[in-house]
Amino acid sequence: MEAPKFERGTSLSIFVSDRREDFSALIFAFAIAFGVMLLA
Amino acid sequence: MVYTVKSPALLIIGILMMAWGWLNASGNIDGIQSSLQASAYKDHLKVKEKFDAELAVATELAKAEGKPAPDMKMPASHFDSAKATQTHMSYYFGGAFVLIGLITLMWKPTEGSLDYFISIVPGIAFILAIAFIVRWGLDPIFGNWGKAAAPTLGWDFAKIFNLNYVVIGIVIGMVIVNVFKIPAWAANGVRTARFFLKTGVILLGTLYSAAELAQLGALSVVMIGIFVLGSVGLVLFMGKRMGSNNSMTAVLSAGMGVCGVSATVAASPVVQAKAEEIAYTIGTILIWGVGCMFLFPTVGHILGMGPVQFGAWAGTGILNSAQVAGAALAFDPKGIETLKVAEIFNITRVLFLPIIVLWLAAWYVKHEEGAEKVNLAQVVVAKFPVFVLGFIAMFALSSAGMFAPAGHYKGKYFSSTEIKEEKLLKGKETKAIEAELTRLREGEGAQAFSKYLADKNVVLEGHKVTADEAYKAMSDLVANKKLSTRQQDSILESVAKLEGLDALAKGSIEKAHKNAYHTSKNIKSYRNWIAWLFAFGLIGLGMQITGKALKQAGGKPLIIGGVVGTLKAVGSLVVVLLFVKEFI
Repeated sequence: MEAPKFERGTSLSIFVSDRREDFSALIFAFAIAFGVMLLA
Repeated sequence: MVYTVKSPALLIIGILMMAWGWLNASGNIDGIQSSLQASAYKDHLKVKEKFDAELAVATELAKAEGKPAPDMKMPASHFDSAKATQTHMSYYFGGAFVLIGLITLMWKPTEGSLDYFISIVPGIAFILAIAFIVRWGLDPIFGNWGKAAAPTLGWDFAKIFNLNYVVIGIVIGMVIVNVFKIPAWAANGVRTARFFLKTGVILLGTLYSAAELAQLGALSVVMIGIFVLGSVGLVLFMGKRMGSNNSMTAVLSAGMGVCGVSATVAASPVVQAKAEEIAYTIGTILIWGVGCMFLFPTVGHILGMGPVQFGAWAGTGILNSAQVAGAALAFDPKGIETLKVAEIFNITRVLFLPIIVLWLAAWYVKHEEGAEKVNLAQVVVAKFPVFVLGFIAMFALSSAGMFAPAGHYKGKYFSSTEIKEEKLLKGKETKAIEAELTRLREGEGAQAFSKYLADKNVVLEGHKVTADEAYKAMSDLVANKKLSTRQQDSILESVAKLEGLDALAKGSIEKAHKNAYHTSKNIKSYRNWIAWLFAFGLIGLGMQITGKALKQAGGKPLIIGGVVGTLKAVGSLVVVLLFVKEFI
């Protein structure tokens, strides 16, 4: 059975492979990095 | 499926946050804040005293000249900045939560992306509210209590037991999930903790220099190489000797050797591990990971370890990645240095994952009759955590000077040109240095000074510093009333430590050093972001450490895990204490 689209699970490891979450974190981190740089 | 749970909780959290912001801004809780932030308040009183004196003089002068009283503004103290931060954060987040809380109550959710994203907000607000209480309330309370009790006890119990925002936050999270259960309206948001930890790890890439990473990277490859391969080999050996299943032994070895739960999950398809074997392994890893997260920082403080030593030990000895971050921040909650070192070790460990998966696949096929063939490349590609590459990309951009100029990465940087007029050394200070310069240039003083530099073995850019270089640095300081170069700063740092140096001259050199270093605004912001992302993620992590998950451990896996985990923790501690020196 396919997992629901938004199910993130309750895993305790941050290094669990979750591609959607990984890419979202990547975008968020770069948004913070560039945001800080532009607002400084 | 609809995720949003209708509840007034988000609205209430938002209102409480805004109320805290207003109480701060209005000054109504200055009494509470002054006792919570005792040292910042002491600094505030000094700034105020100095300002009042300057204002009185300026007013007198203006009066004598028949001019109106000057309109002077008191400079912001650390206390004012801390209060302003709390006010802004409370207003921004509180306002957003009130708005979304009202929408949640009035809106009829339908299945889809908007429903999911709205559903995570109450949980985020729940964790953030705990983070605010812990960071702004409980952390300073325990900190002050520990300092107050230190003269009686002879030691600071809050420091030794790491009663800071990280540990308190994780414990509160664990109590909530195990005693009260996470409220339904917060459940979806609590699961975002891992996302924020991942964001924190990627953003950490902005804080390394290439040289620092090369130094730490070489050290981590050696240490992780020895301990990862050693742990995997030892578990495989013990599992065989104790007659454990091949799949159980293999999956446990990945978890104990590499990076805990993720390695267990990555290795499970290649060794065809069953669900209960994965559960046993995860339970064993969690018991050790959580135990070490609380124990390691206390041992680190007792042994007087520095950030590099502790980061290397935690990054090698603690089994699970998230607990490594927890231990590093628990040990050093105010700085990011320990976390930086620990995460390099952690990431190095993750990079070993493909090697271990290949090893276990080969081992399993050799020892298990009728083992199915698995596409290894496919498993590695599918299970490798992509965000680790994000960290590397962030570091590459950062070291190319994208986010802050080179040399700013530590948060403080040297700049002679940015020293303000009022920060230049005063006449009596330069005279004191000049007098010492004359003394150290002549007769016995000169001999003793040359001997001191030679004995101290002061080396700069590959050569021993000579007395002439030190004289030049001192005379330049006298002439310019400020430090001119970083090299001269390093030389004068050694001069200031010279025994018998005049106290005013020593203090003036130290003052010039302090004035030449400036805070990098960008790096300060990145550090704040990282600290909040990890604080948030670790409180959420605490909310996922359930008694049920820990109880999964048992039997042979727990015995093997206990032996290997202890050997890894003790062995890495011995290696770190013997061979790793502080260098950042």
